Amino acid sequence: MAEDDAIAEQTPGTAAASADESVDVPFERPTVDVDVACVGFGPATAGFLTTLSRGMAADPELASAAMPGCPPQVVCYERADDVGFGVSGVVTRGRAIRASFPDFDPAQIPMAVPIRKEKLVYLLDPVGASRRQLGLRALDGLLRFVRPIARMQQDAVEIPWIPKFLRKDEGFVLSLGQFNQWVAGQLLAVGNVQVWPATPVGEPLVENGRVRGVRLMDQGTDREGRPGPGFTPGMDVRAALTVVGDGPVGAVSQQLDAAFGMPQGHERHAWALGMKMVVDLPEGVDLEPGAVFHTIGYPEPEIFGFFYVHPAKVASVGIFVPSSFDNPVRTVWRYLQHYMQHPYLWRYLHGGRLRSWGAKSLEESGQRGEPRLAIDGCARIGEGSGTTNVLTGSGVDEAWYSGVLLAQGVLELWRARRPFTRGNLDAAYVARRRGSWLDSEARVAVHARDGFERGFFRGLAGMALAGLTRGRLHLGYAPRPRRVRSLEEVYRGKLSARVIEALREDCRLRNRPLHDTVMRCCGWPEIPYDNQLLMTLQDALLLGGKVHAPAEGCRDHVRFRDAQVCRACEQRTCVEMCSGEAIHLGEDGLPEFDREKCVHCGACLWNCTEIDEEGQANLVFGAGAGGLHSAEN
Amino acid sequence: MSTETVLYLAHPEADGALSRHSLEALAVAQSAAATLGATLVVGLFGADVRAAANAVGACGARRFLAVQGPEFATPRYATDTAAVEALARAAEATVIVGAHTSRLARVAAGAALRLSGCVDTHAGSVTAGADGLAVTRWFYKQRIEGDVRRSQRPWIVLVDPGAAEAYAKTAANVASEIVTVAATNNRTQTVGLREPGAGEQTIRPEAELLFVAGAGWTRRQKDGQPHTEEAERLILDFVRASRASLGSTKSLTDISGEGQAVLHCLSHLNQVGQTGSTPRHAKGLSTCCHGEEPHVVGWRFIRERRAVNLDPNCGWARGKADVLYVADAFAVMRELNRLLAAQ
Amino acid sequence: MNPLHIVVCGSVVPDPLQTLEPVTTAAGPELKNEMLLPAVLDPWAACSLYEAAHLAQLSSGSRVWLVCLGPKAKVQQAMMSLAQKAAFELVLLDGPAHGFADAHVTAEALAAAIAGLAGLDRTHLLLFGGWESASRGQGVTLQMVGERLGITDQFQGVDRIALGDDGSFEVIERVEGGKHLVSRCDGPPAVLGWATGERGEPRNDPQMGMKNMRVLLPALQKAAPVAVSAEGLKYEGVRVPTQQRQTRIVKDMSPEAIAQELLAWMQ
Repeated sequence: MAEDDAIAEQTPGTAAASADESVDVPFERPTVDVDVACVGFGPATAGFLTTLSRGMAADPELASAAMPGCPPQVVCYERADDVGFGVSGVVTRGRAIRASFPDFDPAQIPMAVPIRKEKLVYLLDPVGASRRQLGLRALDGLLRFVRPIARMQQDAVEIPWIPKFLRKDEGFVLSLGQFNQWVAGQLLAVGNVQVWPATPVGEPLVENGRVRGVRLMDQGTDREGRPGPGFTPGMDVRAALTVVGDGPVGAVSQQLDAAFGMPQGHERHAWALGMKMVVDLPEGVDLEPGAVFHTIGYPEPEIFGFFYVHPAKVASVGIFVPSSFDNPVRTVWRYLQHYMQHPYLWRYLHGGRLRSWGAKSLEESGQRGEPRLAIDGCARIGEGSGTTNVLTGSGVDEAWYSGVLLAQGVLELWRARRPFTRGNLDAAYVARRRGSWLDSEARVAVHARDGFERGFFRGLAGMALAGLTRGRLHLGYAPRPRRVRSLEEVYRGKLSARVIEALREDCRLRNRPLHDTVMRCCGWPEIPYDNQLLMTLQDALLLGGKVHAPAEGCRDHVRFRDAQVCRACEQRTCVEMCSGEAIHLGEDGLPEFDREKCVHCGACLWNCTEIDEEGQANLVFGAGAGGLHSAEN
Repeated sequence: MSTETVLYLAHPEADGALSRHSLEALAVAQSAAATLGATLVVGLFGADVRAAANAVGACGARRFLAVQGPEFATPRYATDTAAVEALARAAEATVIVGAHTSRLARVAAGAALRLSGCVDTHAGSVTAGADGLAVTRWFYKQRIEGDVRRSQRPWIVLVDPGAAEAYAKTAANVASEIVTVAATNNRTQTVGLREPGAGEQTIRPEAELLFVAGAGWTRRQKDGQPHTEEAERLILDFVRASRASLGSTKSLTDISGEGQAVLHCLSHLNQVGQTGSTPRHAKGLSTCCHGEEPHVVGWRFIRERRAVNLDPNCGWARGKADVLYVADAFAVMRELNRLLAAQ
Repeated sequence: MNPLHIVVCGSVVPDPLQTLEPVTTAAGPELKNEMLLPAVLDPWAACSLYEAAHLAQLSSGSRVWLVCLGPKAKVQQAMMSLAQKAAFELVLLDGPAHGFADAHVTAEALAAAIAGLAGLDRTHLLLFGGWESASRGQGVTLQMVGERLGITDQFQGVDRIALGDDGSFEVIERVEGGKHLVSRCDGPPAVLGWATGERGEPRNDPQMGMKNMRVLLPALQKAAPVAVSAEGLKYEGVRVPTQQRQTRIVKDMSPEAIAQELLAWMQ
């Protein structure tokens, strides 16, 4: 109870809302009453709505409190322009998805296929530029020396045994964009719930420690959010229950965390940026649909990679750059281009053609990053609620399942005519989650990745220890708070401080980010552009990114609170790591934001190391429309 | 001998003459008729088509048909459809070729239906061979092209500008057969043409050069400030001095459409690209454009392309322009205007 | 002002940012992976729908229908965005809407559906649509639908309509040289094929969306399959045109020198 009291005393929403709240306007704000308002249509909300919709169909007695005489009114608002946008592909065991669809047939969904073959591959460095620790260099040398015994081919070793916890047995390969479209189609065909894309939610409505619904983003504003021509204030959607599934960097999630705080001891320090391409494989490459390759070791030891094959000679290829690889100038795009050219993969990809491209940040703190799952009038589901399992490398199925569990709880409360108080939600939803495989597996994974804070080998050892002892033993390292090491520290032994300073000065004069220059100096070769798979990031945005943003009428979703803080910032990782080069150096050397290039990956929010006394980053990543227009990722 | 009869369909402009585009369509009709061994018939409609008929009098047509009178002076669906139908019936046409003008595009489909025939528009080329006639036309806003054959007759084909070199023989007096048209409804009256405002510049099909302004003109320049007034002056000075056609990218017209203080000289009429026009000019100069795919599709018919952009990684640099000058368009256009003024 | 009965013909096209590639099937050419591509209402048809919704608000008793021939799954998807922007009743014919489907049979199916609309008063009918589509791009379907419905006042490339109190209206159409042709019509029935209009995309109205969806869902569920096969039409081939140029990149030339080179090139 003490914890509850402490929450009630807070002024809800103030901290985050100061940066992201709607404008104070003399217009009358329209209001609508619904029973359930959902934020974000990802796998979690899709699982929630699927389960809820079926429950509603099975029980015609369920009635709306908001609209008497009608069935419960359930609406879901998605920020992206379509339900299939802004998500990625996935290799998943799909236990929860299959449980929801017992007759699940991947053939019904474009790009979906059962997994046929799964390999874990260690990639050696064929160009000699990667930052390998001494031990890893020794291992590489040994492997090259005993090449036939190690069965090394194409500078890679296929690891003969994949631990069970990593395998995706009986699972399938999906394009989440296509899967989301398919689920949305099913939901719409039944018609019990409504899903509205291109409708960003600006903020939660918080009153006296209780969530009362959501406020949609104002329309017809300038880029700062001030009313302009055709101003339309965002509607207040008042709901008995608000379901928040807006992902790892969702605007509503951030504001709820700021208003209600994280549970004791919970924090989110571990994250990764994933970037991928969907590729038309070249003629003559005969990989079986459902073939899956997980890779480690290259382009940097800390970077994980994936390559999986969809039907119709299409493949997804990409990398995850984790926060433990804390290089301030890490450019995921450049690394992805080098990754694809690794001989082990390039033999399949060479001559292929980019179909689609995308990037997304992932919350990798797992249960340690779990927020308050239940608040009065509100429940959290999906990745933003800490469902991602970093040991098994699985998140979509877990997110889906969290939505299913919440829907079961909601149906139970509806039938019992009990309100959505925190206590009731704890009993109906959180308790379900705690008693499920979702939670027990998350507990096993809590420390699984901690070793990577201390290097590649300790990282692998930590994962093995967690996996093989079912989480009972771990190495005892904890993720460090948000920080980025200095360039000098990262490249010690490779580049001298004097060289680094010269590079900095050169880039400062040219007003360019450092990453390409630094990588070139470390021996990374130039990318031989073929404009099919190897191209500049800007070309990828055009050819595969299909990025769109409203030219006017809404506020920029990325903003910098205090230019002076940016001026003093040494790292500017927000610029260096921006997936679309949407954040770039302006004429005055300060970061500027161009939303027409933003893919909403959210890396900038994680990357801003300028945190004020109230815990707020100097960079605001708020609600906003637009982003990728690809439904193939 | 072919069983086809090719009707060349056209209307004179306000000055009584046929447009260059119409004369290009005549060349297409002539070529198709010749290859098919078909009879060529000329069918004209308008207030007074005598001058136009004489202008094409030496084209080798077997017959010259005319629908004329004050009710055909200006474009109007009811009268124009009736005119096209009457000409086609009088000619016993199986293939009807005309230019894709706004006037013919308005009525071609309706007329085809009345004739129990079929229609294709935006033809880039018409080829005739031993196996008959094929029309090459665009789909998906110039992003896919396809070759179409139809067995149904009559087949009305409207050709886009540039499908052939315009017919250019000297005039020869001809006596046209006057075709009468049954009375039509007169519920619509033409009020007249509304010209763009004084000084307003738009896509002008007759211009040699297309000048396209990209969104970079409205962005902040080196001093951290936008210079839209100067941008507008530079652009308009250049367009006036060079008599170029003025186009813009979608992003720029989107901005100006919202009435913000940007380039007032640009509206949707200037828009080149997927949701705008696909003009045909011999040369195109792009300034401050990134070269995005939806925009570049509008350049498909621009033969020689040059671009000025500060970004060497700009989309034009990769196989879209012949020459990309990496330079400040403000500085280049200032110089270019100075040179043009000195001429 | 008299009530208007506005029927908008329009279908879905791939989201404009998608990369398109044709494939040839036994049934003729189609778009590769068409069902994978996100769909939107054709941009010109959308303009006409927004105009229709606006006009309907001006005179009470007016109705707006969207009559759409397209694949049900894709139309359904497009409705999720569209329903928040304009109020309309939907009539869906479940059939192909790709650019290679024939306009003539499409027009026949649409005209039959419109002729069968319950409550439609043809003396109040304005038949709207895009002047072309972003798929077939012929600009012929709407005229043929109008002809089949016996409407002989037709306008194409419309940017504006001004309604008079007596039911008459003035309309401006895009013609060559950036000009507009101004015409006056005694009143409905008439066909208006819209260019972009002047209204722009309306803001999302979530309340309208929720109300609309209650009408749209039954219409989507009722959608009947329509066979659209064209007799006598044959595609010899379809392809993506190749236009790769060898770009000369000039980096270190002064503005003066560039201007001189450009002038020489222009002349």
